[in-house]
Parts: sequence; structure tokens; C-alpha cells
Amino acid sequence: MTKWFFYATLLCAAMFAISPFVIANAPYESTMGLVQKVFYYHMPSAWMFLTASVVCGIASARFLITGDSRHDRTAWAAAEMAVLFGLLTLVTGPLWARKAWGTWWIWDARITSSLVGWMIAWAYLILRQYGGPGSEKLAAGLALFGTANVPFIYISVNYWRTIHPATTVVPKLPFSMGFPLWFCVSAFTLLLVVLMKLRVRVAEQQARLDAIYLSLDEEA
Amino acid sequence: MPVSTSFLRVVVLVLGLSGIGPSVITPVASVSAQTQPKQQEEFIPVDQLPPQEQLPAAPLLIAAYTFVLLMLFGYMFTVSRRLNAIQGEVDRLDRDLKKSGRA
Amino acid sequence: MMLRAIWLIVRKDLTVEVRSRELAYTTLFFALSCVLVFAFSLVQEGRAADGVGPGVLWMAIMFAGNLALGRTFERERQAETLRALMLVPAPREAVYLGKLTGIVLLLALTEAVLVPIVAFLFQAEMLAHPFWLISVVATGTIGFAAVGTLFAAMLVRARSRDVLLPVLLYPITVPVIIAGVRGTVAIAQPEFDAEVVRFWLTLLVAFDVVFVTLALWTFEPVMTD
Repeated sequence: MTKWFFYATLLCAAMFAISPFVIANAPYESTMGLVQKVFYYHMPSAWMFLTASVVCGIASARFLITGDSRHDRTAWAAAEMAVLFGLLTLVTGPLWARKAWGTWWIWDARITSSLVGWMIAWAYLILRQYGGPGSEKLAAGLALFGTANVPFIYISVNYWRTIHPATTVVPKLPFSMGFPLWFCVSAFTLLLVVLMKLRVRVAEQQARLDAIYLSLDEEA
Repeated sequence: MPVSTSFLRVVVLVLGLSGIGPSVITPVASVSAQTQPKQQEEFIPVDQLPPQEQLPAAPLLIAAYTFVLLMLFGYMFTVSRRLNAIQGEVDRLDRDLKKSGRA
Repeated sequence: MMLRAIWLIVRKDLTVEVRSRELAYTTLFFALSCVLVFAFSLVQEGRAADGVGPGVLWMAIMFAGNLALGRTFERERQAETLRALMLVPAPREAVYLGKLTGIVLLLALTEAVLVPIVAFLFQAEMLAHPFWLISVVATGTIGFAAVGTLFAAMLVRARSRDVLLPVLLYPITVPVIIAGVRGTVAIAQPEFDAEVVRFWLTLLVAFDVVFVTLALWTFEPVMTD
């Protein structure tokens, strides 16, 4: 792999190694106490989930318009990222909620929308895996519809009553809490890029392999 | 420097064994279930933890972080392994083709 | 040209259906069976739990609609008429809109029987405001059918198409169903609040516009190899 990839992976690993110390140094939140510190991994996971969903949607749209397989590979990789980071969000969230709200799960708008979005990403992977030949375009169509749900996820909390912290929490964060958050966001973003690159490379090599086998069949 | 997680773990273990832990968790959980907290507008930082908050949170926090790191490592591991396998096969095919002079 | 093509496609489906009435009867019966299953699951001591009627209605619509979509396109696949439809000298969007209209008509027929029965069995006062009820049910059905028609058409040649249709369809149409159920619940309330119903109705209309537009855009690239 290229040099930048190697350094990026190293930096990412270092940031994740340091992150527990950065987070431990952050002050406690007045009403939620210790458990609020899940926020520093929960929030970046949620953002990476949303980012990956948007990337998948855009790549799917480009694939449908141009037919270029590169966009299809990007879309598939992004869908895997979305399922991964979505799973992290959906597990860390209830662990936080159990202590902060006294219940594992509530059916409010944002949480429900995130669950639905995650299931759409998972449906994408199921379709790619079991849909047989020609499922690339079908999956791209599905991803487009799924992306139409993403703005709904972000805006929803402002239009329904919910006990999920309002989206205005992040801009009002004091520096002592803002720094660990943005540190973790950077670590997660770097990780998303590294994982995407790895995953796309797998798809590229697979495509190359398929092409080689195809040409061997034709010659034989 | 606020209270460290290893200290908290020892406290949790001791108190859990003595049975105070479970009896603290249930009242706290039932109170928060009855009174729906109103929507928070911002996080308010604080330096000292109120004492009754220290105990039940640590296992949840540790579970959350452990899960995240395990999943991320696990995924990275499986993708790398897959990449190496495919890369190996591509290289092998390339070599075979070159050998038979058709590449 | 477009409208004529749509009308021809709808008329073809109607003609086939009127002769056999297979889809209409089986879809309706399946919807009623669903209602029966839900009734046995949810009724305790002879009374249904409160406010369960609208949920049962929309669950029945979802399941019966899924079945109807699958079977409509299965019929096309077996007779190989889908390929013939794609060769029609009319814009591809007309094919989509024609099939969509057919599905909506079929579901509307089913719902015309289903809604009164559910209201009757679950003591839900849904029929008190028929105009609002028809609007909510119609817009919800159109939203569900819009996505469903596209996916069912897409999946006609795919492997595992039977199970893939609900796998793809239900997560995408969850927002429509949430709005549909909450709107119907608001209609069934004893103290009727038009504002709440109007809100959910607006949301449903917005969804319909977004999903139908998206489906029109993606129908052509997705159906061509």
C-alpha cells in the first residue's frame, strides 16, 4: 500500500490509543456524571455512520448516472462502513441511555430513524450478497432511497418532543469538553478513511481477479 | 485529575460484593424511569462527581468502549485478511500467466 | 402520449384482473387473515387493547401490499410481458406510472373493505372523519406503492426475489407507515384535533412527492442493463 496510507493508519492507531486519556481528562457532566463520557465515542460513531450513508448515496447516484464500477465499489464499501459505525452507535447509545434515562431503548424520532437507516444499509449488504448478478444497480437504487432518509434523521429531533440531547448541544460545548470530542471525531474520521481505502482495495482486487479469470475462460 | 477508572473498578467490585451495588442501582433506575428528564439544551461541565453517581455507570462505560474497540479491531482484521488473500491470488495468477507467456 | 401509455398499461392490468379476479380476492383474503391473526394476538379477555386498531390496519396493508406487489410482477415475469413493456415506444416512466396506478387501485379496493372491518372489530372511531381518513390512507398507500413498484420491478430478475422485496421495502417505507399510523390514530381520537392530522398528512404528501420523483428518476437506469 502507499506511504500516506501507512502513516494515516499509524496516526489513527496513535489517536485511538491516546483517546482514553484525553477523555478521562474531560470534566464530568453535571446531571449525567461518568456515563456521559460514552458521548466521546458515541457521537463520532453516529457522525461516521451518517457520513458513510451519504457517501454511499452519492456514489450510488454517480454509479447509476455514469455506470462506472469505481462508484459501485465505493458505494459497497461505504455501506459496510455505515453498518459498522451504525452498530457502534446503536450499542453505545443504549449503554449510555440505561444509566442516563433509566431505560435501554425509547422510540423517539432520532433514535428510530437511525435504526431504520442502519437497517437500510444492512439491506443493501444483503442485496449485494444474495441478489445474484445485476444486483449492483438494484442496490444503487436502494441506496438512493435510503439517502433520502438521512436529512430526516438529523432534522427530526428538532421537530418532535424527545429526551435525546438537542442538536444544539455540540456548538455550546465548553472547550474542556469540546477538545476531547473533536479529537475523537478526527480519530474516527481518519479511521473511516483508512477502512474505506482498505475495503475499496479489496473490491478492486476482486474485480481484477474476476477479469483475469474471465480472460482465461475466453482464451480456453 | 478526577477519579480514575481503575479506582472506580475496585470500588464497584467491593460494593457489588457487599450487595450495596444492586440495591443502589434499582432505586436510581426506577426514579429516572418515572420522572422523564426534560430535553437538555447543553452539557454543563462539573469538576466533582456527586457520590451516588459513581458506581453503576462504570460497567456500562467500560462495556461501551470495549465493544467499540473490539468491533473496530475485528473489522480491520477481517478486511486485511481478505485483502491479503485476494492479493495473494492475484499475484499467483500473474506469475502463472507470465510463466506460460500469456500475460 | 405519456398519459395514453399509462392508461393502456392500466387497462391491460385491469382487463387481466377482471377476467380472473385472482389478485383482488387473494389480496383481500390475505389482509383479512392478517387482521384475524392480529386479533388473536392482541385481544385479551375479549377486548382488544386500546388504540390498536390503526396499527392493525396499517400492518395488514403492509403485508397484503407486499404480497400483491410480488405477485403482480411475478405474473409479468412468467408471461415475459415485462420485457415487452420495456420495449414499448413510450417513455419508461409511463410503464412505472402505469404499474403504480394498477397497484394503488388494487390496494384501494382492498382497503375499502379492510378499513370498515378493522374499525368495526377493534372499536376504533376511525370512520368519524371520512375525508381525513381517506386522505391519510390514500397518501400512505401511494407512498408505499411508489417504493414497492420500483423495488418489485427491479427485483423481477434477481435471485431470492421473494424474500428480498420485504427486506428492501419495509425499512425504506417505515417513515410512511409511522406517519400513516399516527395520522389514523389522531383521526380515531375522541377529541379530534385537525392540526395534528394535517401535520401527518403534510408529511405523507411530502414523502409521496419525494419517493415518486426518485422512483421516476431511477426507474430507467435501474431497469436497463
